[in-house]
Amino acid sequence: MKPRKIEMGFQEPDMTPMIDIVFQLLTFFMIAINFENTKADERVKLPKDMLAKPPDVKPEHELMLNFGYTRDKNGNRVPGIPPKVFYNERLVEIEQLTADLEQEKRVMELIHGKNVVEKVTVTIRADSEVPTGLVQQLIKKCQDNQFTKFSLRATAEEK
Amino acid sequence: MERTKASEPSKVEIPMAPMIDIVFQLLIFFMLNLKMIAPEGDFNVNLPLSPNPGGDIEPPQIKVSLHSDRDGNLTQLTIGNNNLGNDNAAFERLNQEILKIIGRPGNPLTKDVEVELDADYECQYKYVVKAISSCTGRLDRQTNQVARYVEKIKFAPAHHPKG
Repeated sequence: MKPRKIEMGFQEPDMTPMIDIVFQLLTFFMIAINFENTKADERVKLPKDMLAKPPDVKPEHELMLNFGYTRDKNGNRVPGIPPKVFYNERLVEIEQLTADLEQEKRVMELIHGKNVVEKVTVTIRADSEVPTGLVQQLIKKCQDNQFTKFSLRATAEEK
Repeated sequence: MERTKASEPSKVEIPMAPMIDIVFQLLIFFMLNLKMIAPEGDFNVNLPLSPNPGGDIEPPQIKVSLHSDRDGNLTQLTIGNNNLGNDNAAFERLNQEILKIIGRPGNPLTKDVEVELDADYECQYKYVVKAISSCTGRLDRQTNQVARYVEKIKFAPAHHPKG
């Protein structure tokens, strides 16, 4: 009996379904990615509240200030260090913020014209454990630079 | 004139492999840039530079005070002269007191009512946010609608630190 020659042909696996899955993943990430909240510093642990719903209308001009503690990798506060403003990769004390606020104001006036500062909403993202007095100091600092509209941020809490 | 035999339209092979490479590049870009953040909401506070430019008539004011110890923990929450306690239920009671004052949510007569928050310097910010939330309104669990109580909230001048 002549042994039958077995054809060893390699079938190339059809790649089309795999590419379809890749497209599905790509579409998911394209939709899920959020480019708007780039100014929201992750180091700030916002207070949680049920009434904190994302606003229906975004403010026309916004200045976002992140104010919080430096924490270690477990999320615990590093003792002895007062809370600071996280501004452009630096840690700034409230008292030293004047120059930065003036710069922000100048840039906004250059882009949007004079008197825009009356329409700017300062959004304060402050850590839930910071003393209120410091938040009030920060607000006063902004008021000294002619900012008048303020908005306090909190995370939406799911009960 | 010799007519060249019209050859069959030859199949143009589009090289798919580089295109798939670009798709993978895009996928990796989006995967690395994805940042999952919890939705955040805003509470607007009214802090004009000049106190009451409107004139002599001051809108009715509700005074809410937050007293705390040196570590910032809440020791007492008061509205006017009423002490509401210092636990989570204190903020519920604040919510109910505000409702009593305004009558019903959305009451146009009380649109100008203003709440003045007076907090100790050390008082942790989260208590102030809770107080603002209790004054702002109430979330109906069933309809997920917010019934708004007071629109205007402002801060009293800051205290000095205790220590």
